[in-house]
Amino acid sequence: MSEATDQLRWGMVIDLDRCTGCGACVTACQAENNVALVGKEEFGKGRNLHWLRVERYWEGEFPHVRARFVPMLCQHCADAPCEPVCPVYASYHNPEGLNGQVYNRCVGTRYCANNCPYAVRVFNFFNPEWPQPLDQQLNPDVTVRSRGVMEKCTFCIQRIRGAKESAKLEGRPLRDGEVQPACAQTCPPGAIIFGNLNDPDSQVARLARSPRRLRLLEDLGTEPSVVYLKGGGHEHVG
Amino acid sequence: MKKKLLIAILLLPLLAAVIGLVVLYHLPLDLEDRAPSQPIAFSHRQHVGEMAIDCRFCHRSVDVSAIAGIPDVDLCRACHLFIAVDRPEITRLAEFWQQNQPIPWERLYRIPDHTYFPHMMHLNAGLECGGCHGAVETMAVTRRVVATKMGWCLNCHREHGASIDCWTCHR
Repeated sequence: MSEATDQLRWGMVIDLDRCTGCGACVTACQAENNVALVGKEEFGKGRNLHWLRVERYWEGEFPHVRARFVPMLCQHCADAPCEPVCPVYASYHNPEGLNGQVYNRCVGTRYCANNCPYAVRVFNFFNPEWPQPLDQQLNPDVTVRSRGVMEKCTFCIQRIRGAKESAKLEGRPLRDGEVQPACAQTCPPGAIIFGNLNDPDSQVARLARSPRRLRLLEDLGTEPSVVYLKGGGHEHVG
Repeated sequence: MKKKLLIAILLLPLLAAVIGLVVLYHLPLDLEDRAPSQPIAFSHRQHVGEMAIDCRFCHRSVDVSAIAGIPDVDLCRACHLFIAVDRPEITRLAEFWQQNQPIPWERLYRIPDHTYFPHMMHLNAGLECGGCHGAVETMAVTRRVVATKMGWCLNCHREHGASIDCWTCHR
């Protein structure tokens, strides 16, 4: 709810004209953030965990059909609907404009997920299991969440902190593009750009001023930090 | 009169429970063994106090990594190939070396999995090792001097103007 007071305000631009819907970002996210797998049966009950998903829309009538892909992740709203409803302040706003989730505070009321218009918050219905040898690929920088805890995209906070730490140790400011979430790093067509929106010269701030810009469900007034670009006449599918 | 006594007797355990919970909340309860016996009777007093070896000589990754690092048997052996080789504790060290086994040291300071603690950032901020780990140069048996609880972290962070954003340590 509070205004970002820091000189950093993290934001993301997703160029839908570049997105091919390949799903590499989803895989990268799953691996980077220790997002658990629940199995086919529980997936069918809607208990799957995803910090990032690719939504697919069909446009037009057969045979003139076109697929549209929208990578969907936490929008890190400046006026986040999930924050005021948390009774234990597990969902909070951080000074860098991120919408935080503190796992050790969360008691699992699930009010936040209920109030999120983007449906990007997911709940751990079970203690995650990592059958051999998958336990060997867990990221040591990210907490493994346990049962009864809500989780969601963090914009790879461990990478943000890592980059800030190395910048501080080397005594220099953060460079533009130094922080890359797993999804942005892996995106083959480079559709996902991440950076500091408060720096007007950063790549993400320049792209966010594009005339192709749109923000999802903007009429709700959530002020998302994720800007989508669409409609440049370069749609490659169709 | 009897009724009042009965009510008082009923309320007493409740009061005791409330006081107990308050005490539990405020005390830095640190119930694990603070000075567990180690597989080799290593003395920080001897190494740091008497020999004046710098912490960083053995805990080599402390100023570049989140983890301070326990020295390899290799590093212990590098000195003890020549120094005090006939003492019983050093022969035990040599046994670990010959069996190609790491020394199963007992851990003193434990931080929960959902907490990230980078040693190098704290050293970079100018903190001394002894500020948290106590005067190890006087300890023949190394012991834990602080209960690493969140309130203790926060007090120091507030004092030094460090970040108290949740995501600085929890993620």
